[in-house]
Amino acid sequence: MAAGGGLARRAYAFLLRPEASVIVVSVALVVYFEIANRNFLTDANVQTVSQFVAAPVIIACGEIMLLICREIDLSVGQVFALAPFLMENINDFGLPVPLAILAALAVCALIGLTIGLITIGLSVPSFITSLGMLFLITGLTLTISRGYPANAPDSPVLTGLMGAWGYSEIVWALAIVALMHVVLRHTRWGLHTTAIGGNIVAAAEAGIAINRIKIGNFVLTSTLGGLTGLLEAFRVGSIDPLAGGSNIMFLGVASGVIGGTAIAGGAGTIVGGLVGGIMLGVMQDGFTLQGINAFTFDIIIGAAILIAMIANIHLARLRGRGRG
Amino acid sequence: MSPSETPEAIRAENLVKTFGSVTALAGVSMRVARGETLGILGDNGAGKSTLIKILTGYHQPDSGQVYVDGKPVRLSSVDEARALGIECVYQDLALVNGLSIYHNMFLNREPLWGGPLRLLDHRTMRRRAAAALEEIGVQVPSVEVEVGQLSGGQRQAIAVARAVTSNARILLLDEPLAAMGAREARLIIDLIDRLRARGDIAIVMIAHNYAQTLEICDRVMLIQHGEVTFESRTATTSAEELLEIVRREYRAARAG
Repeated sequence: MAAGGGLARRAYAFLLRPEASVIVVSVALVVYFEIANRNFLTDANVQTVSQFVAAPVIIACGEIMLLICREIDLSVGQVFALAPFLMENINDFGLPVPLAILAALAVCALIGLTIGLITIGLSVPSFITSLGMLFLITGLTLTISRGYPANAPDSPVLTGLMGAWGYSEIVWALAIVALMHVVLRHTRWGLHTTAIGGNIVAAAEAGIAINRIKIGNFVLTSTLGGLTGLLEAFRVGSIDPLAGGSNIMFLGVASGVIGGTAIAGGAGTIVGGLVGGIMLGVMQDGFTLQGINAFTFDIIIGAAILIAMIANIHLARLRGRGRG
Repeated sequence: MSPSETPEAIRAENLVKTFGSVTALAGVSMRVARGETLGILGDNGAGKSTLIKILTGYHQPDSGQVYVDGKPVRLSSVDEARALGIECVYQDLALVNGLSIYHNMFLNREPLWGGPLRLLDHRTMRRRAAAALEEIGVQVPSVEVEVGQLSGGQRQAIAVARAVTSNARILLLDEPLAAMGAREARLIIDLIDRLRARGDIAIVMIAHNYAQTLEICDRVMLIQHGEVTFESRTATTSAEELLEIVRREYRAARAG
């Protein structure tokens, strides 16, 4: 095989990857917004974009793992809202903030474990289990908070680390993306997650511990949801019982799916979730700068998500046809 | 090479299996030597699949005994059967289409590197998968190709190769040639020939096509209504003889 031919084929294969088309669209959007509005690539605005991007991307890391093994967690946005209140209440009991954070994350992990055990142990589809959890956790958060917002704990070092610096949340997001990319592509856990979603009979035949992996991915997703809520709380400086919610969950799922994760399972990449999240963040910020009103904005975002997903499904077919 | 002179790989005696009021196997015995290929023919529901599932440890017989290497064994689970070197290749069930050939070949047996980090050793998997496929003569464009992009025959070959590289010494093939064109079937027939030539693997295959079975196998066995009604070396029988037995049964069924 000539090196040139191999290179061209690799380039062609890359362009057919879902991530590539999303990157192309994102760059085009950035160029467009920068031309239309000279303020897009300023430091302040890039910071804002990074903050739009970070939370959905971290959530996407969990949802992608679940989607790949044919599960979903609809309640992750509610765990996002619950976690800071858990931290605050545990802190009020006298535990120092760092330990309160860890304890809150442990509770989030337990929520994920519960969703996993109900889904696997009682054979309830995770769509239903997590839908129930969504309402249950909302009620829990409202009860704990009595419906009022609160201030984030005052702890300068930790606040800086967790979110006060404009870029700290995106740094967390990128670190988690890097870690989860390694988990998905370079560990047995990730490979087996993909195998389960691709052909559960074959996975079982090979002796893969299907239940353990699915439950583990529920635990992972809830924990990441809680972590995102904590990061956001430290960045904003206050805790809102109605923060996050289904909106952040859908943005996370949409980031993953736009980036090529198959809703039907068996395929997906963490990097795809990152570029999908960047595209959504760029649009969100760009159209806000343009001064488009909120209603129109939702129409545009909705249409963009549809177009991106349709494009990806058809690119996947094209990729299947272009075999060697 | 007569089968009675070579060491016996697997033997079953008087296997009986009933499901409620249905008798799937009414005392089936069989024997396969190492390096030998046995073809099992029979109608749907004759008991072929039940026999295979007993040999893979998926079903347990009501009575009867299985011997591996001459020793009586209890095959109470798929894992136990596998530990004894019994491996079954089911058509289209065995592979994950979205994963590469080399990931499929090492699924749940992945070599790792990085010590405590336990990272997948993709390089070793690629190298060993390519070597294993070359050794048994299976040609693929690259071991990095997703299995879903391969033809049915290639997929089946990969599944067989995986069983062989996982040290299967008794290979059960469930309809390895079903729904395959002549060229695809040729791929598998040649593969089975090469495995037989190695002399260390016993192959039991369930099939429908008489001509193919006679071409591939050393011996052929006909199962009807849970019983072995005919057994012969393929060299001393013909598709006509087999067809005649089956035709006789159909005539009897119509008359009865």
